[in-house]
Amino acid sequence: MSAVIEARDIELSFGETAALRGATFDAGPGEIVAVMGPSGSGKTTLLHCLAGILVPSAGEVRFDGQRIDGLNEHQRSTLRRERFGFVFQFGQLVPELTVEENVALPLLLGGSRRGEALREARRWLDRLGLAGMEGRRSGELSGGQAQRVALARGMINRPRVLFADEPTGSLDSLTGEQVMDLMVAAAREHGTTVVLVTHEPRVAVYADREVIVRDGRVHALAAS
Amino acid sequence: MIRFGLRLALANGREALLRFVVIAVAVALGTGLLLATTAGVRALDAQVGRGAWLRGQQAPGGPAADPVVWAGREDFFGGKSIWRIDVGLKGANPPAVPGIPRLPAPGQYYVSPALHDLIATHPADQLAARFPGHEAGIIDENALESPDSLVAVIGRTPGEVGGIPRAHEVTAVSTSPQKIPTAAMDLVLSVVAGGLLFPLLVFVGTATRLSATRREQRFAAMRLIGATPRQVTQLAAVESGAAAVAGTIAGFALFPALRAAMAAVPLTTERFFPADLSPGLPIAVLVALGVPLGAIAAAALAMRRVRISPLGVARQVTPKPPRAWRLIPVVAGLVELAYFVGRKPETSSGQTAAFLPGFLITMVGLVIAGPWITMVGARLMARHARRLPTLVAARRLADNPQAAFRAISGVMLALFVVSVATGVITTMHFERGVRYGDLAAVTLEQHLGPEGTLPDDVSDRLRHVQGVTFALVLHDNPDDGPASPSSIVACADLARIPQYGTCAPGAEYAQIWSNLVGFDRTRTGTGTATVWPTAPVTAAQVTALPLDSVVVGLDGSAAAHERARTAMGLAYPDYEVPALTDLERGSNSRTQMALFQRLADVIMLFSLPIAGCSLAVSVAAGIADRKRPFSLLRLTGVPLRALRRVVALESAVPLLAVAVLAAVTGFAAAQLFLRAQMGYTLAAPDWSYYALAGLGLAVSLAIIAATLPLLSRITGPETARNE
Repeated sequence: MSAVIEARDIELSFGETAALRGATFDAGPGEIVAVMGPSGSGKTTLLHCLAGILVPSAGEVRFDGQRIDGLNEHQRSTLRRERFGFVFQFGQLVPELTVEENVALPLLLGGSRRGEALREARRWLDRLGLAGMEGRRSGELSGGQAQRVALARGMINRPRVLFADEPTGSLDSLTGEQVMDLMVAAAREHGTTVVLVTHEPRVAVYADREVIVRDGRVHALAAS
Repeated sequence: MIRFGLRLALANGREALLRFVVIAVAVALGTGLLLATTAGVRALDAQVGRGAWLRGQQAPGGPAADPVVWAGREDFFGGKSIWRIDVGLKGANPPAVPGIPRLPAPGQYYVSPALHDLIATHPADQLAARFPGHEAGIIDENALESPDSLVAVIGRTPGEVGGIPRAHEVTAVSTSPQKIPTAAMDLVLSVVAGGLLFPLLVFVGTATRLSATRREQRFAAMRLIGATPRQVTQLAAVESGAAAVAGTIAGFALFPALRAAMAAVPLTTERFFPADLSPGLPIAVLVALGVPLGAIAAAALAMRRVRISPLGVARQVTPKPPRAWRLIPVVAGLVELAYFVGRKPETSSGQTAAFLPGFLITMVGLVIAGPWITMVGARLMARHARRLPTLVAARRLADNPQAAFRAISGVMLALFVVSVATGVITTMHFERGVRYGDLAAVTLEQHLGPEGTLPDDVSDRLRHVQGVTFALVLHDNPDDGPASPSSIVACADLARIPQYGTCAPGAEYAQIWSNLVGFDRTRTGTGTATVWPTAPVTAAQVTALPLDSVVVGLDGSAAAHERARTAMGLAYPDYEVPALTDLERGSNSRTQMALFQRLADVIMLFSLPIAGCSLAVSVAAGIADRKRPFSLLRLTGVPLRALRRVVALESAVPLLAVAVLAAVTGFAAAQLFLRAQMGYTLAAPDWSYYALAGLGLAVSLAIIAATLPLLSRITGPETARNE
């Protein structure tokens, strides 16, 4: 099975602090991989490098076999918009936009017609149990609702890879489970690869495979 | 993307709407002022153009006409200047002039509408008698500089007009504007426009910082899901452009009101015609397109400085700490002014070219030096801080002194301009105050030319004019050195008016100034106590001396003043300069001083509220940006009053520091100008200056205090919660 997303020996430092020291990672089509590790181990930095948010100082990152670490800012933005989706812990919804506009944002940025983008957004909202909330603002949502909106936005363009960074970190366990159920179901249905960064073992159990990041290096842990 | 940007700009809650409104209002005021300033400059040119023919210059290659003897000179009535043109036609086909059908023949005169009204509303012996003959018509307004212009074109014989100094013959009257030095007024208008526009630019700049943190978060979220840097820049440009377009439209709507205000105020001693106050189509188009484009360009540039990465503001181009070189421009401005102490240029245009740039450089220099001074002050404050709030405020000020200074720079400029204007004007009033006393105000003097003659019975005739208390004919002092009084008076005559001083015991004639008082502080008599120096001449010698002037005392009424002036003009019709009191002699410069004071007051009154708004927005934005750290500090037990103290110190300390700096620099510049131009030493300003400056600072401090309740409202425990 060829990897959809992979990193080879990547390194990245913030000033004097080395966050990644030759990290290697890969995830296959439709695979859900949990990236675990203690705080400060480099797991979020690894996700940022895989998603083209940060560029490693050494090593290479490939998507569908093509190197993406050499792409320029504009190309990496387009890649994120068209091929990737994101669900983060918080701070990802645009507070000034309504729920449906937030979900439609990747399509709107990609040049889709407004009506078409909003229709697609409503379909995803229905599916994730958020019907009737289209006109609300992010400040009017509960934590679980906000994460489901983020999931809808992350999935609206049917991404090849969904990057989820502590998606249940701000939720209670029950709500967290609901969000994870929906995320896994959506990913499975569309064959989306999921890179799931978490420090919670109960979240990691949703993954097909777990890796652990320690001191900037990735160690295989076990298959779930 | 444009629609989306508009959606973000207009429908994003109160903060974004406030930001939009604040930017739009500031741009509207700026646009209105830009239009008004360019309209003012154009009106000035139009004014000069309309009045070009009044100088009676020969037009090159004009149509063949019979020559006319032309003499233009100034007259006064009620403190206003009248431009009087005497013409003597030498043929039946005189040259054409604008505004009247034909140059008047002897016994006729044309007057401007304003002068016509004055003549109609005053007794003939006060004004109409100065114009021989009858009114043939009214000069058309299109041929006048202003609706207030007092102009008379009087027909007399060529021989009568030829006796007036500077009379000359013309066969075609030029209507081309002369190279009259409007540069000075242009420069003054530029300073005024700069003084008004600068606080507005600061205001716009500050307003863009409103809700900056949320805006950056929003852009970061968009970047995360794939918005390109270009798309984010486009969104920011649309947001700013929309506000700027709205502001520009409002500015054009505001312009008629500003134009009406400008037309009502005599900015150049005379009002403009409202029709002349137009920016012109090219300028209007330039402003209409340039202001929004400028705003869009500024927004795009700001986005280049703050690159929004998917993880937030990745690289804020932190300004380097200001360096000491920033003091160079302000010092250079003061040095430029100091250079001319003892080297005053001879001509008024030379003086303008010497002094105005000095003031301008000093003003700009203050803006450049401000951040460095703020930083030095903040570091000093940090070094001596004993309490936590002082330390936190000082550190924050020292970290970004540019931002701290920006919000208060408008107040500083306003204080500088007012300090200069007040320093100069107060000192001039003080230095000239003695000769503007009661005695000088009621002494009307007609100076005679080198060969001037008067009717023998002139003194008797003048004494019979109602309201005249005495009349004296003075002879020229043969010992007329630079420090010697200009005239000779008989001691018998002086004894009848002891309020003007006395002769030395036994003297027959005394040397005296022609206005009986003196001409400046160092050469002025002190009334009754003055003992004028004895003139070593005999009665026979005096009779042989040329006449110097005729002086009358007045009872202080305006009617007596004008009756006497009319009588003196009729007694000496060849005058070049009319009979004047000392007050009137300096009226042009005083009018100009009053204008400058008025403009300085306008700057102060306009820029203080704008600067106050900048300050309020800046303080509020600073609080909003730090609401989370502040609320966390509150949760950990830091009392609210300590946080209030931090915010208050951050704003009040630089405000007070730069206020002192602006006032000191303004007075230094005024002192250098006064020393160079007039040899005066700066006099202390009166209470009104302190009241105005104190009021400005008090309002600014009140604005800071008014924003403090915001601190308790937005730093509650709920703000500290994670999303």
